[in-house]
Amino acid sequence: MLVCRIVGNAVATHCHRSLSGKKLLLCQQLGDEDAMIGAPFVAIDLFGAGLHERVLVSTDGLGARHLVDDDNSPIRMFVQGIIDEKQLAV
Amino acid sequence: MRIGQVIGKTVMSVQDAALKGGRWLIVSPLDAAQFSEACSKKQVISAQSSLIVYDNLGAGEGDVIGFSEGAEATAPFPEPIPIDALCIAIFDSIDYTPYPAV
Repeated sequence: MLVCRIVGNAVATHCHRSLSGKKLLLCQQLGDEDAMIGAPFVAIDLFGAGLHERVLVSTDGLGARHLVDDDNSPIRMFVQGIIDEKQLAV
Repeated sequence: MRIGQVIGKTVMSVQDAALKGGRWLIVSPLDAAQFSEACSKKQVISAQSSLIVYDNLGAGEGDVIGFSEGAEATAPFPEPIPIDALCIAIFDSIDYTPYPAV
């Protein structure tokens, strides 16, 4: 599971059937100090996360297939929840 | 799903029978700096190494695609298939709004 920030969205007409109708969000992974790591990637979102919100993104393919109710879905990344607060103990 | 731009294709006349009907695209994954100009058809090669992506959606050169990697890439196929990257979306538009640096 990755802590990410929503940095945009993507629109695709031609896509795998399990993706059609889903919201595709651009997510960028965050480090401990909330600095951006690496290149953005796409995750599906069923919660309605907004731009620049911090979210928890799961990389569990099995969970994603359950979420879209399609055993043949190639989706792996999905928004699992919206982060209200993150506390570092160190 | 990572995002990349199609910068070419490979052609194979001898290949596994399960793979007939698809194309093998050479895809350059987009760097963060290239997202603002994504989908403008201007072809770019990023600092990340390019990879081959199997495509049965019909993506062409210059298209920006989303590709799934690893075990999930084989999930849509009823039979076992020897691929590890699959094109699953051809993007019409990508709206990238970077968050101000913290």
